[in-house]
Amino acid sequence: MGQLIKWIDARFPFSKFIKDELTDYPTPRNLSYWWNFGFLAGFVLMLQIISGIFLAMHYKADVALAFDSIEHIMREVNYGWLIRYLHSTGASAFFAVIYIHMARTLYYGSYRAPRELMWWTGQGLLLLLMATAFMGYLLPWGQMSYWGAQVITSLFGATPFIGEQVVIWLRGDFTVGDATLTRFFVLHYLFPFLIVGAVIIHLVALHFVKSSNPSGINLADKDNIPFHPYFTIKDLYGLGIFLIIFCYFVFFQPETFIEAANNIPANPMQTPEHIVPEWYFLPFYAILRSIPDLLGGVVGMLLSVLIFAVMPYLDRSGIPGGARNRPWYRIMFYVFIVDVLVLGYVGAQASSDLMLIIGRVATLIYFLAFCLLPFISRKEEQWLRKRGLPVEIEELLRYESQQQEKKDDV
Amino acid sequence: MNRHKFRTILYCCLLLIVFTVPARSGAVEVEFDRSTDSLKRGAVTFQNLCKLCHDMKYLRYQNLLEIGFSQQQVDKFRKDREMQESLKSSTTPEAAKLLFGIQPPDLSLMAKARKNGPSYIYNLLTGYHETAGGVIRNQILPDTSMPDVLAYSIETDVQAREQLEKTAREVAMFMEWVADPKADQRRRMGYWVIAYLVFLTFLLYLIKRRVWRRLR
Repeated sequence: MGQLIKWIDARFPFSKFIKDELTDYPTPRNLSYWWNFGFLAGFVLMLQIISGIFLAMHYKADVALAFDSIEHIMREVNYGWLIRYLHSTGASAFFAVIYIHMARTLYYGSYRAPRELMWWTGQGLLLLLMATAFMGYLLPWGQMSYWGAQVITSLFGATPFIGEQVVIWLRGDFTVGDATLTRFFVLHYLFPFLIVGAVIIHLVALHFVKSSNPSGINLADKDNIPFHPYFTIKDLYGLGIFLIIFCYFVFFQPETFIEAANNIPANPMQTPEHIVPEWYFLPFYAILRSIPDLLGGVVGMLLSVLIFAVMPYLDRSGIPGGARNRPWYRIMFYVFIVDVLVLGYVGAQASSDLMLIIGRVATLIYFLAFCLLPFISRKEEQWLRKRGLPVEIEELLRYESQQQEKKDDV
Repeated sequence: MNRHKFRTILYCCLLLIVFTVPARSGAVEVEFDRSTDSLKRGAVTFQNLCKLCHDMKYLRYQNLLEIGFSQQQVDKFRKDREMQESLKSSTTPEAAKLLFGIQPPDLSLMAKARKNGPSYIYNLLTGYHETAGGVIRNQILPDTSMPDVLAYSIETDVQAREQLEKTAREVAMFMEWVADPKADQRRRMGYWVIAYLVFLTFLLYLIKRRVWRRLR
């Protein structure tokens, strides 16, 4: 065995890789359990790819066969129901884990220099994930699949001048049909591998700039510990907790994340009473509906997802540690989280006057939070410095500038 | 440390809410008897009444063996049809269209295709009443062209009405099984999976504590 590894090491940096990226990879010892979610996202990605490949062995991407093939998987394929419920619950778990991962980044200000590229690759991953999930939702060819795809693809009709052509180009037909189903299946199979590629870039960037940590500054070497065994075991323990919750849904409430109407085969002649997207799209869907103009609504919805990318520039505070050491930012963070939840609730309701007003106010707060951040963050820093920073933050800042000087000398 | 405990409790409460919300929304308003006998009686009623007009394309005759029917009983149901054939209505689609104006929907997934499916089915079957004008209408689906197959609206005897309600519940239970035939197997497996995961996670927790103790 030892000789085999020696043989490989002479030709491929196997041992070096394990050493640099695992057993010697320095990780801040003060990471809390909020830092588990990146690993969990990677786990769910693998789960989705593996269960998805097995589903694809039995699925038929044809409007005449798709719905039946899902029921074939549920009833006649050995443990097909398990594979499908793992996959359908996994989609929701993926978004839950990613949203928590993002919320952690926002709370602790981990998007700030030098981690902007991590934040942006993460943003790209979110977009890929949304596209993949949206296309996957069409595949069962149920009523909600069909009408959801019909509504979302028609939004591209808001593109100025060439809207109609764009919609036809996306669908491959004048309405969502067989051409759409086939291409969505092909892309739904392709995109996860693009996601894997983007994840690798995300991880290379991470191992270059190293993990952020709750204190918000780079720790001294003595406060870093090797990733293995400390964080391998911590991640595995977190995975155990995650799997308990996940399996509860898979085995006892698997239909929670499947709309009842999606158990009716797609019928282009009959619109369901109330078309709702999956829960993870609801806040953005609410923003779309809050803006009276179609083009404005689409732009607003796109902006609501993409605006996260400019966070490193909007946040102008130099205080490390994110919301932990910044009382105003902390309030903003919680207001934003509550606002997103309100938007999610509004997105799930049938439109009414009251919901429209709540949705519009929530949309306004959503964007105001980003627009006001540059001013608030700067004012907050001035206020904090005038008031005198807590001793430990002063120390952290002094230490940070010393480190910077040392680096500059080198 | 105290603050830590407070947070842990807070997160546990949040988790609890997450767990109870779907459990509550999935709650049935009607009390159902989930025994196999009730399921089998529901199947017989379905065979004799519902199947006159409705298909169940995802249920094959051989599947009926899974809920405890004997081969002879299934043979009686299927007559000259094959074991692996699915349940087809006795009315042709053309005749049904002539009679009702639409083709009656397939019922294999009905219990999953409505919110609180079994309750919905029960309420629909017992939702017929005679209006002041002497017309029989359904209060759940006023525009339905489905006749009052249980003759519930014209039954006045209290005991007979209760019997009909029981029959409606049995049909709902049978349809719940057809919509999700693996539910029992899934739940049985689920208990073992969760038990195993709880045990595994506990062991991982112990190892985690042990590994991290080296740092102190």
